[in-house]
Amino acid sequence: MTKLILSTGNIVSGGPSIIRKPGAFRSNLELTNSLRSNFLAAQEDYAAELAHSNGAANGNGNGSANGADLDIETGGRPPASVWTAQKDGALYVPAIDGDDHGLQEEPAQYDITAKLFFLPGAPVSQRSQHAKEALEHVLRELRAPAVDLLIVSFPGMSFEGDCEWEADRINSAQGNDEDEIATWPAIQELHRAGFAKRLGLAEFGSEKLSRFLQRVQVRPAVNQINIKNCCNVPPPLAKLAKEQGIDLLVHSDCTDILPKGTLRELLGQGLGGAGLLADPETGAGGLQGDLAPQWVVKYTAVVRDRGVIENKGYFAGATLVDE
Amino acid sequence: MSRPSRAAPTRTYTRSRVLCRPLVQSKLRTIAALGTALDWPDAKKQAHLVRSWGIKQLLEIWNKAKGKERDAMLWGDEVEYLVVTYTKDDPKILLSLRQADILEALASDKALSKDGSCSPTTQPPPVFHPEFGRFMLEATPGKPWGIEFKELLEVEPNMKLRRIIAKDHMLPNEHPITLTTFPRLGSPGVFTDPYYPASGPKLRSQFVPDEIANPHIRFPTLAANIRSRRGRKVQVNVPVFRDEQTPWPWRDPTVNHDLHQWPEDDDVRNGAAPDNFIHMDAMAFGMGSCCLQITFQAKNLIEGRQMYDQLSPLGPIMLALTAATPIYKGFLADTDVRWNQIGNAVDDRTPEEMGEKPLVNDRWRIPKSRYASNSTYISEDPRLRPEYLDPDLVIDESIKQQLLDGGMDDRLATHFAHLFIRDPIVIFSEDLKELDLNKTDHFENIQSTNWQHMRFKPPPADNSIGWRVEFRPMEIQITDFENAAFAVFMVLVTRVILSYNLNFYIPIKRVDENMETAHARDAVLARKFYFRRNLFPTARTARSSASGSSTPTGAGAASRPPTPTGPVEDEYRLMTVNEIINGTAYAKATTPPTQDDDDNDEEDDFFPGLIPLVESYLDSVNVDVATRCELATYLDLIRKRASGELWTAAKWIRHFVAAHPAYKRDSVVGEEVTKDLVAAVVKVGECEGAGRQFRTLCGVEVPGLEGLLGGFSGMGGRKASSRKLSAQAGAESANIVLSIQSYPLSSLF
Repeated sequence: MTKLILSTGNIVSGGPSIIRKPGAFRSNLELTNSLRSNFLAAQEDYAAELAHSNGAANGNGNGSANGADLDIETGGRPPASVWTAQKDGALYVPAIDGDDHGLQEEPAQYDITAKLFFLPGAPVSQRSQHAKEALEHVLRELRAPAVDLLIVSFPGMSFEGDCEWEADRINSAQGNDEDEIATWPAIQELHRAGFAKRLGLAEFGSEKLSRFLQRVQVRPAVNQINIKNCCNVPPPLAKLAKEQGIDLLVHSDCTDILPKGTLRELLGQGLGGAGLLADPETGAGGLQGDLAPQWVVKYTAVVRDRGVIENKGYFAGATLVDE
Repeated sequence: MSRPSRAAPTRTYTRSRVLCRPLVQSKLRTIAALGTALDWPDAKKQAHLVRSWGIKQLLEIWNKAKGKERDAMLWGDEVEYLVVTYTKDDPKILLSLRQADILEALASDKALSKDGSCSPTTQPPPVFHPEFGRFMLEATPGKPWGIEFKELLEVEPNMKLRRIIAKDHMLPNEHPITLTTFPRLGSPGVFTDPYYPASGPKLRSQFVPDEIANPHIRFPTLAANIRSRRGRKVQVNVPVFRDEQTPWPWRDPTVNHDLHQWPEDDDVRNGAAPDNFIHMDAMAFGMGSCCLQITFQAKNLIEGRQMYDQLSPLGPIMLALTAATPIYKGFLADTDVRWNQIGNAVDDRTPEEMGEKPLVNDRWRIPKSRYASNSTYISEDPRLRPEYLDPDLVIDESIKQQLLDGGMDDRLATHFAHLFIRDPIVIFSEDLKELDLNKTDHFENIQSTNWQHMRFKPPPADNSIGWRVEFRPMEIQITDFENAAFAVFMVLVTRVILSYNLNFYIPIKRVDENMETAHARDAVLARKFYFRRNLFPTARTARSSASGSSTPTGAGAASRPPTPTGPVEDEYRLMTVNEIINGTAYAKATTPPTQDDDDNDEEDDFFPGLIPLVESYLDSVNVDVATRCELATYLDLIRKRASGELWTAAKWIRHFVAAHPAYKRDSVVGEEVTKDLVAAVVKVGECEGAGRQFRTLCGVEVPGLEGLLGGFSGMGGRKASSRKLSAQAGAESANIVLSIQSYPLSSLF
């Protein structure tokens, strides 16, 4: 099994991928577009570097980690070895260089939020590990000791329907209470260890939330809901949040933010793909196996008293299992 | 869309002079005694001294403050009011000239100004200021706003509170209204209360009395010295709107060609009042306009300069979008905004400077009034291509050299050397005894009588406030809901610009052209504006800029690789306000296709739109549901104004006049129409203050209100609380700065 860590880098000044498409609520376009453009940028950059060093030293001195060949089968793209990196048992797509990270000012100046998406299909038993790993990537990228808010998004949840009441009602039966509650201690642990100052949930309606609150130790301080055009918070949820001192925040993310098919396309041989995966027909051109997205974490660092977003990006974890 | 109601917040109105220092600091400066204001020939002799001392003071601040860092994002809004007398039964609506009495009443309301602490969560009482027009008032929040999103929602209730407090300190028949101009200012007959005859020694206006201006010596001196320097009265000529029954050519019937009281009465006999133009001849016609201005504090010098440049191209767009000025002196104009009228009303250029006579005594030709659109960019941003600058910018080379010698960089020195081509207009002889480098009075004298559409404000002499940028083009809106919406929108736009490091640069001359375009009747829908096609870097060429420490906050811009340089002309195109604000997709959906759009390459013309960008920003920060919904309402108002789904105030006023039975389709806005129009505005204000839905309760009585405001009703549950606060305010409210300010013009108008 190969573990993959995908990353977008800082997307905040990255151009079109941040532009919200009219009417595109609950979109994962930001993630997919910015992954794609980061892959492309990395391929170009590292290829240019490689060409440069080849010209200078006439040799392949970049210490290729996964041994892929400079091959015509990569469809004109630079080989994976050039722009990805194998490190600590994971393949980083693209490679993350050591310098050039962190925030401009000291971390206390920022409001740092991380939102962790547990993806459908990923084993519940792995969530503890995934949470730790995801947060580590964020903290390393931002060079921050902790995030101010860690929001957890569970699969299979939504807040949709005919505005307020119906959304709340439908929500009650969504997700999996037992899995969610079983996951929470790992999140609490991150909080206790000082890596996340406050915790939050996403898409919990009034009934799910009250069931959840009864069974957890560290209570969420935030519940993020998607309200689309409809600005009425379901009254039971508003009441519960008020009583429990939980902030209701807005978001517009998908819960299934990185479907398997989308990820395959992003890494595959097709148009706009990164060319990392082998061609499913011929088996040629790269990594083989069953690609399964596990988690995604979105992070945002906002300068506290200036309201300026300085850094925003995503990491995604996936596994590639030999078939 | 229904809006969540909110419990009335309990607030106390207290203040602390230190902690609650307003952002617009210069307005609070006071002078202990009235000085001796020099008349023009004497002032002119001292102009050079004032300039040279002003430059020394500027360099002093520059050296003190250039390294100032990490100031918080604070901002302030300024709302200006006309004070009108109106009762249902009185056939006349007049401008009240009791500004001084009203300010006095506010100031002597002892309970309002008691000291107290100023915690971040309590807003001290609003601050009221005098204005040039004696029929005007200005109000600002008691302390600057921050960038907490919840705080953005306090703006509208605070604006309402200001109006209520102001009203509480007026006579029962007086009302503060937010129309940009009084429709019959300068019309024949009585339009002020009390009445004064026109043609006084200071203004020498045919149409308005000297008493129309604030009597403090600064204001009449300003008006008189502008006239005197110019060598004739100011000429404010606005094209008249030609309606079905308008005689053509049209000669302003209110102009008297046979006056012989002052030498300036010759002006109209020498062609000052051309056919088809409404003719006005005094500073009050311009500086008597109300506007909505926003001042932002920047993190540091670099960010301030970046904001100044990036907001500059937005000026004309926001002017067109807030258009509210279709009537002058009792006639419908063919323009919708106030801007050029103010420019002409304070244009002190001599015939030589204007290019009407060969340069003999004056130093240079000057293409624009001292009140005009920005003339240059000031940032050292590598994205600023030399082609964007005006090669013919007039500057004072010796002043620039002094600034360079004092350590200022070329670009900023150029900016100030441009401002300093002007003479100081009002000079007090007492201030010329010695140069005080702990003050900025001489610098401010020049700086604050350069009224460009943006103003770059250095910190005050004590360096207690950061570098600031003032956004000045917007017209005041009739309701506080609208004023709050535009203020908050601009705040959000600045955050988007800084976060995404957007690039709005176009050649500054195109911004000038856009400013002219914004004047056209219904420019918001009927005209197109030059605007940059791509606000983002053209390609993500270097990963280092995309992953890691690259920051959009000013300094980071320097590490960005230079944009590939194609022809500058390819970087921008003509766009509608709808495209600029809402993006091409929305614009396409809300406007019928026209012939000339057909051959455009759609892909090439894609533009994201400012509102979608603001929404992207809001999607990326933590905002609570209630706040986001209120903000969405503001964005919705602006979206619909830009698309034409709702009308500008100018359009509503035109509609109101056209539909009035007393209007004869001859461009004349008579007393009866004016009364009903102003009454409608007063009514809307009352409805808003009382917390009623504009539409359901005022709609019946106010024709066309649906067009202006649609289903919007202002901030839901807040209205009741404003009401409650007003009672409280009446008992213990406002913080008044009545003292005459030393540089009151610094942020007025």
